[in-house]
Amino acid sequence: MSEGPPNIPEAARIKTVASLKRHLQTAIELEHSTIPPYLCALYSIKDGDNLPSSQIVRSVAVEEMLHMILAANVLNAIGGEPSINHPRFIPEYPTYLPHSDRSFKVGLEKFSKATVNTFLKIEMPAEPKSPPEPNRYHTIGQFYEAIEDALKRLSRDKDIFTGERDRQITPESYYGGGGGVLAVHDLDSALQALGEIVGQGEGVSRTIFDGDHRIFGEKVEYAHYFRYNEIHEGRYYTKRDTPKGGPTGKPLPVAWDNVYNMRPNPKMKDYPRGSERWEKSYEFNRTYMALLNDLHRAFNGQPKRLLTSVVTMYEVKYQAVELMRIPVNEEGMTAGPSFEYVPPDR
Amino acid sequence: MTEKSYDVVIVGAGIAGAIVAKTLTQAGYSVLLLEAGLQAGMAFEDPKAYENYQSYLNNYYNALAKVPNAPYPNLQDAPSPNVLDLSPIQGTTPDTTGYFVQKGPLPFASDYARTPGGTTLHWLGTCLRMLPNDFRLKTVYGHGVDWPISYEELKPYYEMAEREIGVSANVEEQVYPNTGEGFFGEDYVFPMHKIPQSYLDQKFTEGVQGMKVGVGGDDIELYVTSTPQGRNSIPNHRYKLTGPVWDPYTNKLVLERSEQASYEPVGSIWDPYTGQRCEGNASCVPICPVQAKYNALKTIKRARRENLDIVTQAVASKIEVDPTTGRVKAISYKKYHDPGSPEHTTETARGTVFAIAAHSVENAKMLLASGVANSSNQVGRNLMDHMVFLTWGLMPERVYPYRGPGSTSNLPVFRDGDFRKRHAAFIMPIDNWGFGWPTGAPYSSLSAAVNQMNLFGKQLRKHIDETVSRQLLLHFECEQLPQSENRVTIDPQYTDPLGNFRPVIQYNVSDYTRAAMAVAKNISNQIFARIGIQDQTQYNPTDSDYLTYDGVGYTFWGAGHLVGTHRMGLTRHDSVVNSQQRTWDHENLFLVGCGNMPTIGTSNPTLTMAALSFWAAENILRDLK
Repeated sequence: MSEGPPNIPEAARIKTVASLKRHLQTAIELEHSTIPPYLCALYSIKDGDNLPSSQIVRSVAVEEMLHMILAANVLNAIGGEPSINHPRFIPEYPTYLPHSDRSFKVGLEKFSKATVNTFLKIEMPAEPKSPPEPNRYHTIGQFYEAIEDALKRLSRDKDIFTGERDRQITPESYYGGGGGVLAVHDLDSALQALGEIVGQGEGVSRTIFDGDHRIFGEKVEYAHYFRYNEIHEGRYYTKRDTPKGGPTGKPLPVAWDNVYNMRPNPKMKDYPRGSERWEKSYEFNRTYMALLNDLHRAFNGQPKRLLTSVVTMYEVKYQAVELMRIPVNEEGMTAGPSFEYVPPDR
Repeated sequence: MTEKSYDVVIVGAGIAGAIVAKTLTQAGYSVLLLEAGLQAGMAFEDPKAYENYQSYLNNYYNALAKVPNAPYPNLQDAPSPNVLDLSPIQGTTPDTTGYFVQKGPLPFASDYARTPGGTTLHWLGTCLRMLPNDFRLKTVYGHGVDWPISYEELKPYYEMAEREIGVSANVEEQVYPNTGEGFFGEDYVFPMHKIPQSYLDQKFTEGVQGMKVGVGGDDIELYVTSTPQGRNSIPNHRYKLTGPVWDPYTNKLVLERSEQASYEPVGSIWDPYTGQRCEGNASCVPICPVQAKYNALKTIKRARRENLDIVTQAVASKIEVDPTTGRVKAISYKKYHDPGSPEHTTETARGTVFAIAAHSVENAKMLLASGVANSSNQVGRNLMDHMVFLTWGLMPERVYPYRGPGSTSNLPVFRDGDFRKRHAAFIMPIDNWGFGWPTGAPYSSLSAAVNQMNLFGKQLRKHIDETVSRQLLLHFECEQLPQSENRVTIDPQYTDPLGNFRPVIQYNVSDYTRAAMAVAKNISNQIFARIGIQDQTQYNPTDSDYLTYDGVGYTFWGAGHLVGTHRMGLTRHDSVVNSQQRTWDHENLFLVGCGNMPTIGTSNPTLTMAALSFWAAENILRDLK
C-alpha cells in the first residue's frame, strides 16, 4: 500500500457501506479472476520440469487464493455476504479484469513468454502519480486504495464492523504460500488485510519486497510482479535489487518448450455436445463449480469447509492436466480446462 | 579435513546424528558429520534438493516391489539390507544373499537405509512415547531388564523430540494403560492437531464399540485412539514452546515457553511451502512425495551451518583409542568417489568428543571391528525388533483402504498389563493399506482376479471394486525381549567391497513373544466374528519368518525397529553405555540411537531415540563446557 495521504479524487470515492460491500465483492471476483489463468499456466508446465517457474506461478496462485480469503474476511467483517457461486462469478476468458482500465485482456493460456508478459501487466505496481478515473482503476493497487480510503472514512462516525466473528476464516486454514490469513474485526485488521493483498501483489513502498516479513516474520519474498519478472528475465533478484534496475542475481533457467501445448481459451462449445472431450470438459467444470460451492459455504458461516475443499482442489488439478494431455488439432495442440459456469444439474 | 580437530565428530546423518549435530552447532560448537551415503542426498537448496528427491520418487514409481528401500540407492560401498533378500534359512548354512549374513534360525526381517537422512526417509512416522512400565519391565513383570532412567526423567526430552519431529496429535485422546497421573505435562499440547482418522478407522471403531475380548480368563474392553504422527497437520495455536536451547547456567537443554510463539509446520527441504500439510498420498513408506512427513534432512537443514562440516561418501570404519588414556583420539573412514568401485582413500577425523550414530547394527559392527567399548561383552547382543503379526480380511462393507497415511489409529489396550508376566505386550495399529503388506495388494488382487479367476471387463471391475475396497489389515506389534544370543557379530569371511565387515546376524523369537502372537490371533478372531469380517489370513511354512507355538503356525514380518545392540544400563558389567549415553569404557565416546535402548516396549522407537539424542547432546554439551 502506498504511503502518504490518499490519492483518491472526490469522484472516485466510495460513498456508502453498500457501495463498499459491492467493491469488496468485486475485490473477491478480481482476485479470483486471475486464478484460472495462473492455474492454466501452472498445470501446463510438465511435472518435474521448470521447477523454479512452476514454484513461482504456484506460489502466486496460492497467494491469490489467500487474497480472496482476505477480501472475503473484510466483506464479512462489515456485515456483507460474499457470493462465490453465482453464474457470473467466473469471467468469460479472455476478459478484461474487473474495474481495470481495459488496456489488456487476460486469457486461459499455456505457460509462455507472452503469458508471463500478461501476468506482469496484471501485477504491475501502481504509478505513484496516476489518480484513478471514476470507477476505472489503472491498477489493482489503486482499486484497493479506494477501498482503504472508504473503510477509514465510513468507520469514522459509526461502527461498520458489525459482522459475526465466527464467519471469519482463521489463520490455521491457510498454508502452502507466503503470508497468512488475518481474521478481520476492526479497522486496523481490515487495513492490515488489504495491505497484505497489495503488498504481496505489487510490493511495499516501491521496493521489490512483499512485506510479509514485516507482519509474519517470514523470510524475505518478492512481490508477485517481481517474481514473474524473474521468469521473464530468466534471472533471480537479489536483496539489493531495485524495481528499476531489474534482477541481477543468478540465472533462472526456463524451458519454454517443456509445456503442454494447450489451445488458448478452450470452451465446451469447441466440442460436439456429448463427445468424450465435451464430457471431460464438462466434468472439469462440474468439479470447479463444486469447489466454488465449497468456498461459498466456507465464506458464509461454515469456515471449516475450506479444509475439506482441498480434496476438490486436487481433483481440479488432476482433471485439468488430463485435459491438457488430449490432442485436439493437427498442430499438436491439446484440450484444456475451460473454467465455465455449469449449473448444478444438467 | 584431516588437519582440523572438531569439538565433536558425529558418524551418521540420520535422525540421531542430525539432532546431535543441530543441537551442538546451535550451541556454538564445531561439528564434523560423517555420512556413508551419497553426496547428492545431502542437498538442501533447490533445484538440487528437489532433483535428488525426484530421483528417489522415480525409483519408487519404477520399482516393481515398493519395499521400504526401493526409492533409495543401494551402494556397493555402503550396502543396505533389503527385505527382498529374505528367505527361510536352510539348516545351519548362513544365507548370504543380501547385505546381512543371516545365521538364523529365523532370518532377521528388518532393514534400514544408509543414505543422508537415514531411515527416516522411509519410516511411517508413528510417534508414540514409551509407557512408564516399559522402563521397569524387570521390576514390575520379572522379564527383560530395567532402564537406568525413568519415564519421568525422559519426559522433557520427549517434548523436545515432539517439537523437532513436528508431531500431530490430540493430547486428550492419548489414553494408554497404567500411565498414572501426569503422563503428559500439565497443559501440554502437541505442536499440531491430529491427522484425521481414516474412514476405515471410523467403520472399524463402530464395529468394536463396547466390545470385550476374552484373554486368559479376563474380559478386556477394547478402545480405539488416534495415533500421534510425525507428519504435518494444522498447527495447534495453544502450542507455545520454542527451542530447545542450551542454558549454560543450569547446564540443561530447555524448551522455552513464549506467549508469542506459534508453531509453523516445516515444509520440504527444497520449498518451505511444499508439504506444510499431509496430502494423504498414502506412500509414506517408502517415500512421502511432498515431505509432509518428517525426515532428518529437515533437522540437518536447521543446524547452524557455519559450525558444521559434512563429509559424505565417508564410511566410518575404525574408532582409534589412545591406549594410555582410554580416550578416543580419532575415527578413520573410507572415502569413496564411485559407490560402485572399491577404490577409496582412508582419512582420519579428529575431535574432542565422538558420537556414533550410524544405526544400531552399524554402530555395533563398528565397535566390534575396532575392539572398543566392549568390556561388558554386550556389544552386538540383545538385538530386538517388533514382531509384526498381521491378520487380514474383507469388511462387510466398503471401507476404502489405500487412502491417507499408513495408519492413523490404534488399539492401545494390550500395551501394558499384568499379562506381561506371561506374554509379550503389543499395540494394535489399524492399517490403511489394505492387504498390501502381507500379499502385495492391490497389484496382487488384480493379477489373482485375472489369472486365477479369469475375470475381465465389467466383471473384473466389479470384482475389484467389491473386494479391494473392503480390505482390512489388522496389525499387532509384539514386544521382543532382550536376549544375548540375538546378536550382530563380524566375521573376516564376510566383508563388503571397501573391506568393511558385513553384519552377521543370529536371531530367534522366544516363546514369550510367540505366546503373544497366539493371543493376538485369538483376539483377531473375536474381532472378525463380531464385525463380520471374512478372514483371508494365511500363514505358510514357506514364509521367511514362519514359526510355531503350541503346534500352531504363525508368520511375522519385520517392523524396521532395530533396537538394543549396545544397550545402556546401571553397571558396566551388563551394558555398553551408561545413562548419559556415554560408553563405560571410553570417556569421550558417546553412542546415540536405538542401540542404546535396553527394551523396546510397544512404541515405534524413533520418538524415544530422538528424545535420547537430545539427552545425549545435553551430556556432550556439559562435557564441552
